[in-house]
Amino acid sequence: MSVLEIIDLKTWFQTQDGLVKAVNSVNLRIEKNERVGLVGETGCGKTVLSFSIIRLLQPTTMIEGKILYKSKDILKLSEREMQKIRGKEIAMILQNPTTALNPVLKVGDQIAEAIWLHQGLKKKEAKEKAVEMLEAVKIPLAEKRANEYPHQFSGGMKERALIAIGLACCTSLIIADEPTRGLDVTTKAQIIKLMKDMTKQRSMLFITHDLEVAAEICDNIAMMYAGELVEYAKTDDVFKNPLHPYTQGIFNSLPNRGLKPIKGMSPSLIDLPSGCRFYQRCDYAREICKNRHPEMVEMENGHFVRCLLYD
Amino acid sequence: MIEVENLKKYFSSGMLRKRYVKAVDDVSFHIEKGETLGLVGESGCGKTTIGKAILKLIKPTSGRVIFDGVDLLKLKKKKLRRLRPRMQMIFQDPDSSLDPRMKIGDSIAEPLKLQGDINKGEIKGKILELVETVGLNPEHVNRYPYQLSGGQNQRVVLARILALNPDFIIADEPTSSLDVSVQAQILNMMNDLKREIHLTLLFISHDLEVVRCMSDRIAVMYQGKIVEIGKTEDIFDYAKHPYTNTLISPTSIGDRVILDRDMKNASDYTLGCVFYQRCPFAVERCSKKEPEMIEIGKKHYVLCDRVT
Repeated sequence: MSVLEIIDLKTWFQTQDGLVKAVNSVNLRIEKNERVGLVGETGCGKTVLSFSIIRLLQPTTMIEGKILYKSKDILKLSEREMQKIRGKEIAMILQNPTTALNPVLKVGDQIAEAIWLHQGLKKKEAKEKAVEMLEAVKIPLAEKRANEYPHQFSGGMKERALIAIGLACCTSLIIADEPTRGLDVTTKAQIIKLMKDMTKQRSMLFITHDLEVAAEICDNIAMMYAGELVEYAKTDDVFKNPLHPYTQGIFNSLPNRGLKPIKGMSPSLIDLPSGCRFYQRCDYAREICKNRHPEMVEMENGHFVRCLLYD
Repeated sequence: MIEVENLKKYFSSGMLRKRYVKAVDDVSFHIEKGETLGLVGESGCGKTTIGKAILKLIKPTSGRVIFDGVDLLKLKKKKLRRLRPRMQMIFQDPDSSLDPRMKIGDSIAEPLKLQGDINKGEIKGKILELVETVGLNPEHVNRYPYQLSGGQNQRVVLARILALNPDFIIADEPTSSLDVSVQAQILNMMNDLKREIHLTLLFISHDLEVVRCMSDRIAVMYQGKIVEIGKTEDIFDYAKHPYTNTLISPTSIGDRVILDRDMKNASDYTLGCVFYQRCPFAVERCSKKEPEMIEIGKKHYVLCDRVT
């Protein structure tokens, strides 16, 4: 049984400038103990997709489709039922550690809060567990550090604290939103190792714009572009044989693979092109791509791509 | 073009028991005309402080910075101001380096107006010219920074700087907040500009791969000191300092040598090698004697006693 199954999900917002179609007909499945990487550029809808799963969006947002968590449709749950799942069964590790922690609460208390809310422990026990969690994420002098405030932590340590909060309860699904953004190489390597070790018996949706980081952690990779998935395959297959021109473009723009950028910019989510969304930036674009919107097709076992080249 | 000699910047804290953080500690290097020097290191190692100290945006504790034959640190304010247009800095975060209430066009016009003798028509023409050079559309001129993406704003910052015709630019992590594809666009553009107008560049970044694409030579920095400096090929193929090796180990990120012990505050060091505590090859003498820069190849220097 899959832990999470997203079926034909659409998430749209009404704004002053028009209707923002942030997530469009996304289908994605995460099996037990599977780690899926969701890779795409800024503004392609990655974070909105994750917020849809954990239901942290404004009530005015239009969400269509199904999100099945252990065969239960999350979108149909009441807010009270959702609270029991959020943090306890599905946890989120947020982007940007500097703003995700509360600056006026001690780090230990912030971790303890998640524990006593969901596990019914007394506050003192929760605090002890929080120190254990800090130790688990390899923060030195955990007991002393638990009584410090976020500003006394470095960027890497704050990220560790966030991971500790996310993993404090025995969650079965973790959504990690760019946990390595803004960290430098050595700290990044530490965090990646930690995430790998701590999520062995768990399922994870790992959001990032960095393909190399995704390769380290994930079993499968889903490429997202302009609100829809354009390629989905095992990590090895994506690296050895990227099919979609967008995936190829991202690879080519890496500094160690030629630094050849993709021309142009991603389309605005308000004004999406009617044909292929990548049409204007694609080197292989043909006349047909302009008007026909490609469907996701399976190429070889488990390698899906949305491109008319393979139609 | 630029010569930095024994540059130091200590930050002090505390009133009675003064403690010092040696953000930049006795750093010397030079950059030749038209050359790009890459400066790499972890966050907090003092990269940005070096950049700011060179331009005298903060006052160094001691040392000399010689720009085109003039010692900047001895210069009077007025004379320094006259030199400023020739040396410019690009900051990390493009969104916060632009005035949010100024239209893009006005932002670019500002440095032009400061140069004096120039009329409105000329300014307009120059703005459009600059906007084109950095790959933006003329329609962007009437927008505000929040209406543009991070990559576009970084282009605006670059246009502002190019308006002054500088000889020397310090780029402080200009692409660290950008996506890979946008990063590639900006870096390519900078490389082209470098060739066209013969810029001298100090390129600061924590990403070794990015620095590799941009630099003729690379300086690796750790805890306020330059621990290795040499030609880009030499740093990648024959790196000698243990710290450089942890940075470049070519295998995937996960297999990279992981520095387990977290570093202590820079202020806690008194004796010995800065890298002693985290170094896998440290022996006792490393904790007692400060290593000296030794030359191990052509233009290739290492700050480590154990390299022979």
